[in-house]
Amino acid sequence: MFLRILWKLFGASRGRLAVALIALTSGAAVCSGLLNVNLDADRKLTQEFRTLGANVVIAPPAGGSEAALADSSVLDRIAVLRLPQIVAAAPYLYVAANSGSQPVILAGTWFDQVARMNSWWKLEGGWVFSRDDRDHCLVGFNAARQLGLAPGSSVQLRSGSNNVSLTVAGIVTTGGAEDNQILTNLDSVQDLAGVSGRVSLVQISVLGSPAEIEGVAQKLAGALPGFDVRTVRQIAAAEGTILGRIQGLIFWTIALILVLSMLGVLASMAALAMERRRDVGLMKALGGAVPRIMRLFLAEAGTLGALGGILGFLVGVVLARWIGQRIFGVAIEGRFEVLPITIALTIGVALAGAFPLRLLGRVRPAEILRGE
Amino acid sequence: MAPLVQVEHLEKRFGEVRALDRVSFEVEAGEWIAIMGPSGSGKTTLINILGGLDHPSAGRVVVDGLEIGNLGERELTRYRADKIGFVFQQFHLIPYLTALENVMLSQYFHSITDEKEAAEALARVGLSDRLQHVPAELSGGEQQRVAIARALINQPKLILADEPTGNLDETNERVVLTLLHEMHDAGHTILVVTHSQAIGNLADRRVELEHGRLARISVPSLAKE
Repeated sequence: MFLRILWKLFGASRGRLAVALIALTSGAAVCSGLLNVNLDADRKLTQEFRTLGANVVIAPPAGGSEAALADSSVLDRIAVLRLPQIVAAAPYLYVAANSGSQPVILAGTWFDQVARMNSWWKLEGGWVFSRDDRDHCLVGFNAARQLGLAPGSSVQLRSGSNNVSLTVAGIVTTGGAEDNQILTNLDSVQDLAGVSGRVSLVQISVLGSPAEIEGVAQKLAGALPGFDVRTVRQIAAAEGTILGRIQGLIFWTIALILVLSMLGVLASMAALAMERRRDVGLMKALGGAVPRIMRLFLAEAGTLGALGGILGFLVGVVLARWIGQRIFGVAIEGRFEVLPITIALTIGVALAGAFPLRLLGRVRPAEILRGE
Repeated sequence: MAPLVQVEHLEKRFGEVRALDRVSFEVEAGEWIAIMGPSGSGKTTLINILGGLDHPSAGRVVVDGLEIGNLGERELTRYRADKIGFVFQQFHLIPYLTALENVMLSQYFHSITDEKEAAEALARVGLSDRLQHVPAELSGGEQQRVAIARALINQPKLILADEPTGNLDETNERVVLTLLHEMHDAGHTILVVTHSQAIGNLADRRVELEHGRLARISVPSLAKE
């Protein structure tokens, strides 16, 4: 009989319940979408962060100019560790050079690795794609202006008694020290400076939270005794702060959405409670105990919440895919563990929104039967 | 044997208004009592107190050994489910439940539902072909018959009917009165609030109220015969 009455209650109040269901489904959809995004945000955002520059730097111990250069075999020793968190590792060799009478810093590196960790660099012209390309260079924005260089122009560089002639592939704007440098392939700079197989430092981009980054740095330090392995704390901390803020934003948005959904349900249920005063009065007159009557209404609200939760979850999965595509450029897959959370939250909201129905327990049957 | 209903010096006040003023009477099991009087004389208030829908302000009301004034809300609910069958002037059926479900609702609040028994109760009031109709699809007389079937389904000690024919035409009034007769003949104790002298004359006794006071208790001439 319980289910029979419950079914009839749904049928009798389908208009108002549909409004409540829409409020619940909308809220659940946003919650489910944001929960899916939240679960993936760490991974997606840290991946995004890894395109924002190195967060670990390995340098030889400070000392004389020769001692300050590391053997480039350090890169092999890093590779052997097979640390999956390492996204890119770019060696740098810095040499003081002259272009005509103008002094300039020439940096030798691996452009494929530089590209993986510095996607925000603005480029005018072309990139240098091969590590074997000894003819081209990239010129920092300030250096290009100072030396009067543009994509396609040639630049003669001298370091000590060695010379090299390079063609400018592109002008880069980085907002950092690279804006004042000329960058070319590592081998060319090593030959120019006569320090074959040596590097000044290695910049590494590590995926993960600040704690994970610190962990990787410690492993690197362990594997490279005598080297100075440092995390770029500002970057790691800023990434952690951004992640924390995004998660906080998601949490509070979910809380706000749930409250708004509850207000929508509350409005529908308040109207429903007015309609049902007479029925409840009659049920009480017939000997219906308040908890038994309330169980009917709470089961109705709970069922509505569960239904809203399931529908909302499905809509939320679509929403998460869309958000992922729009913000991260990659679809976020719906996580099954979000379903029970969404349903539980929506049932909670529905039961809270059914508060006016619970007040019906106070209805006095004598007053209702008198038509008051 | 103790009377089924004992009302002693019953008072009910609504603020300054005294709806019932020291009313006393008794009802034996199996009696049909008509409670009569002009509007505002306290008839419905008396029925509500007897039915456990309202609390007395003073005095004693004992029904089947239970003193109603001493019962809490939960016990009153159980009292209504176990001992009382209500028939109202406005029928008071749940609009979205069928005739059958309206009767079963009373079973549900009493103990367990029995669809067959509910269908038989409706058949006894001549509604075996209306089981699956909702109240809006039934005439006033049919709705009142559903209400009577609902009142009888749990075999209550006391049937309280408040103007049961007040909203019915002459034909349906006769049908309902016949049913009340049958209930009386079957041994049910019935208290009917009515303005109608004709219905009052069918009762075993008439309890007449005026301004909340018991004016007289009389035995109609038909009952004497």
